[in-house]
Amino acid sequence: MKAGWRSLACGALVAALSLCAFSAVTHGFTAVTSDGVRRAELTSAPRELPELELMDARGKTLSLRDYAVPGKQTTFVNLVYVRCNSICVTSAGSHSWLQAEIMARGLQGRVRLLTLSFDPSNDTPAVLSGYAGHIAADPTLWRVATPRDAGQLQRMLDLFAVVVLPDGQGGYSHNAALFVIGEEGLLAGAYDVERPDVALADYLQRRTGS
Amino acid sequence: MPRHMGVELPLLFLAGWFAALYTGASLIPASSAWNAAGLPGLLFAMATSGFWMIPAALDLAVLSPVVGFAKVTSLVAAGFVACLSWRVARMAIQAFFVLNWFWMTLAAGLLYQEAPQQLCSVYLADQQGQAGRAMAAWACAGLLAWIWSVARMLLSAEDAERADVVTCAAGEPANSQFDLPSAIGRMCSPPNLRSEGQSSGR
Repeated sequence: MKAGWRSLACGALVAALSLCAFSAVTHGFTAVTSDGVRRAELTSAPRELPELELMDARGKTLSLRDYAVPGKQTTFVNLVYVRCNSICVTSAGSHSWLQAEIMARGLQGRVRLLTLSFDPSNDTPAVLSGYAGHIAADPTLWRVATPRDAGQLQRMLDLFAVVVLPDGQGGYSHNAALFVIGEEGLLAGAYDVERPDVALADYLQRRTGS
Repeated sequence: MPRHMGVELPLLFLAGWFAALYTGASLIPASSAWNAAGLPGLLFAMATSGFWMIPAALDLAVLSPVVGFAKVTSLVAAGFVACLSWRVARMAIQAFFVLNWFWMTLAAGLLYQEAPQQLCSVYLADQQGQAGRAMAAWACAGLLAWIWSVARMLLSAEDAERADVVTCAAGEPANSQFDLPSAIGRMCSPPNLRSEGQSSGR
């Protein structure tokens, strides 16, 4: 029966290791895509915002860390590039919807919006300014910015776990999400880019404490 | 993505399989204590095969060299161990693993074709459908290959039995009598390989 016990132990070890591997890659059996895993990771372990130099549509420099000051403001962030005419259009549409909701519900001062471009070489402040006008971004609550230089770009992509691939047609293919920087100043969530309503609902629920 | 999932991953597995086919016979007696009926080995092969169908795992394999290396070694090892285990596994166990692997791979292939969202971050969304079709094709090919090998075994067993019957009918003493249960038993039990540790009275 020794052979039986050894095989049993071997089989049990294989099963245990397999379960561990599957659990690790799916973040505890909660997601199969990298986007889903990122969403689960951010919810369970919010990330600190690094010192990341940005330039906005008016040419003013700011740092991502400015959004990390704990206070009463929640920030919704999306990552786009101006020439994109696929998923970034949806992303901008979601932010527009959020802007309208913020104004309708009188949440100015409590909720703000940030759009970051990951194509700083093309999206200069002048281009960003045109883009901000095109999406009707209210400058008091919706800021559009880009990393100051290419060195900062990869750090920004790593923070948001955004993968950017040239799409063979002069543009980029990239994953996208609607990110949340919470009131504690940490990157604390990611939502489906087509569901700003879910993101807003979660925010309102957290605010009322229910 | 179709090249990665449809060509590279299966080739890695097959490389391990053929390596075992030509060199692994000596390992079977040594490993028989740990791999009774081929179960742990086939479980490892199936878990490995399934793991690398998860989109998040594929992303990691492309983005991280360590995970990429782990992918290559695990798939070659899975093919190697699967081949060794196959030769000691009975048909019921072989059937169990083949059919489960078939359904898993086919389902994954269909999901990759149907999923509206981009599954992998490191590949373009329009490659997803091709990768899914490749997986579905491999699933069907694997199933058909197994069915063909079973059919071949059934036919050769039938031929062997027919030869015994003909010998009996010619009036010469037959070396073995026609015995259907034994014929099926011979077909279903492991082939000629006998390890020294195993007792024959099962």
